[in-house]
Amino acid sequence: MHIPDGFLSPQTWVPAYAICAGLWYVGGRRLKASLDEDTLPHLAVFTALSFVLMMAALPLPGGSTVHAAGIALLAVTFGVWTAFLAVSLVLVMQALLFGDGGITTLPVNALAMGLAGSLTGYWTWRLARRWNEAAALFAAGWLSVMVAAGLVAMVLGLQPAIAHDNEGRPLFFPFGPAITLPAILIPHALVGIGEGLLTLLGHHYLTRLRNKHF
Amino acid sequence: MRRRPDRLLLALYALAVLLVSLLHDPVWLAALLLLALALAGRDAARLLRRSLKAILVFNLAIGGGYAILVGLTGRDPWPTLLLINLRVLLLTFMTFLFMARANLFNALGFSRTLSYLIGLAYSQALAFRRAHDDFHLALLSRSPHPPTLMDRYRASAAAASWFMEKSLHSTRDTAQALRSRGLFDA
Repeated sequence: MHIPDGFLSPQTWVPAYAICAGLWYVGGRRLKASLDEDTLPHLAVFTALSFVLMMAALPLPGGSTVHAAGIALLAVTFGVWTAFLAVSLVLVMQALLFGDGGITTLPVNALAMGLAGSLTGYWTWRLARRWNEAAALFAAGWLSVMVAAGLVAMVLGLQPAIAHDNEGRPLFFPFGPAITLPAILIPHALVGIGEGLLTLLGHHYLTRLRNKHF
Repeated sequence: MRRRPDRLLLALYALAVLLVSLLHDPVWLAALLLLALALAGRDAARLLRRSLKAILVFNLAIGGGYAILVGLTGRDPWPTLLLINLRVLLLTFMTFLFMARANLFNALGFSRTLSYLIGLAYSQALAFRRAHDDFHLALLSRSPHPPTLMDRYRASAAAASWFMEKSLHSTRDTAQALRSRGLFDA
């Protein structure tokens, strides 16, 4: 779902950085307030877990990739802020340490996958678990992927309208939402099934492990 | 002592990224790419190869789709394709050049917590990536025939459960290591 560098206009990524910086600051303050011997390694290790879950990526013709992300799993197990910070850190590491993804696209990816994906996953699970816990976890995983993918598709699809030359030629990503939405959402509807299963099985497994060992 | 140059490089890199994003003239972008290649010196060919490899699939998919779509309407797709591809290549090359020249851990040294966090997460990610590759190779080497989809699912499930268990244990181990080194002492 990552957007590569050079496809987003500065009219998009500069404000996105401003929003993200505020959210990272709030998240960092919350982290610092609870900083103890568990918080820092907890976030670091689950960042690495999210990183490894994102490693298997397949390119899409619409300009993006599909892969499991474990965002809903992190959000329902460790909370929205931990998931948001972990995903943001993964994106920083991928862009600046592993040379994968982009630095200009980092805030949009972080907001779409880390924030919107986590919030969707967490609240779907919170609201639906009173009826059926398993269905709630599966729906949390599926919806977190679809909302994040939909946002990425919209941001990409808006680029020709946001940035074009005098003759109407696009300056950044060249396809509109009529192409990006189906090109990204249709494969992600399938990826979402895997993400839903990962959230369902992973949450049960992690909860069992935590109860057993910690 | 290296922290200041690393932070300066980070600031220069950020400024250069903004500048490149604001340029829409292929001639300027090509000139900046030549400048970046010159700055890379002996690493230029290696970094250029790496950059091309990183963007090839995406840019071919998007460029090919755009060329067909716009070509069908009778318009010329090449000015847009040249501009987009040059910009993407330049930005990617600049990122690889920055990674080759600067130490990110020093560059982010203005925040102790952030430095620790990136360092910890990076070391864990490297270990997990190695384990991920090992799992993949193990599946291939232990399958007499190419693994079926079900084999891959089973292997992925086993690997995922290992990563989760390892994550929980690593959290506890790292916490104890940090505490023993006095990180949380007032």
